[in-house]
Amino acid sequence: MPLYLCNATAGAISDDAKEKIAADITRIHCAVTDAPPIFVHAFFREDAAEMPLNGKTVFLMGSIRAGRNDEQKSRIVTEIRQSIHDHAAIPPDDIVVMIRDTPASWVMEGGDIMPEPGEEAEWLAAHEAQKPAEHA
Amino acid sequence: MIQCTCLVQEGQIPADTEAALRAGLDDFTTRNFNAPAAINWIEIDKGSGFTAAKPSTSSIVSLAAHAPVEQSARVPLLKELCALWTEETGCSLDEVVGVINDPA
Repeated sequence: MPLYLCNATAGAISDDAKEKIAADITRIHCAVTDAPPIFVHAFFREDAAEMPLNGKTVFLMGSIRAGRNDEQKSRIVTEIRQSIHDHAAIPPDDIVVMIRDTPASWVMEGGDIMPEPGEEAEWLAAHEAQKPAEHA
Repeated sequence: MIQCTCLVQEGQIPADTEAALRAGLDDFTTRNFNAPAAINWIEIDKGSGFTAAKPSTSSIVSLAAHAPVEQSARVPLLKELCALWTEETGCSLDEVVGVINDPA
């Protein structure tokens, strides 16, 4: 978490573009939130019925940990839309990007409940410290 | 029915393992939520899943509870859910994201 799940019309985003957009999503999310890159998942689908395009070419839903402010979310949306436009040559008006909050306490990653925003460094340190014990 | 969405990477989970996971999820929701699982199994095409901007080996398993879940109950449930995945697939805990959502 976060999970950025992108649906697009078939062929609209090439594999090469997906790689570049995923790199941008990771960079943007981490720059805006200070989250570590290892938390960031970006998955791409095509013509997925569960994510209606409603006449658009791309619909991307970002599920992020609750606690980010509106300015942060707005920046994420704007910069991801720009990345998709830049790498897939899709007009911005055909790209919908939305952000949805999920409480960190609802999510487990690496066997631990996700940290609240701002507590990532302590979480990572504790998570890494557990690993030798797990394998002992 | 408890809605379960499983996002997995194409080619990572063989059919027999998928069947075991589906059965395990159904058992999990029946025991813990008194309802069978309605599973939406989604394979992310090769070259379409990224974690930390690199090809992903992560699975994301998300359940929608019918009623709010106390955090003291949610944590062991998530541990059991993630353990199901690691035991059946052989993946590491770092490759599983479990989510139990409260109703909106």
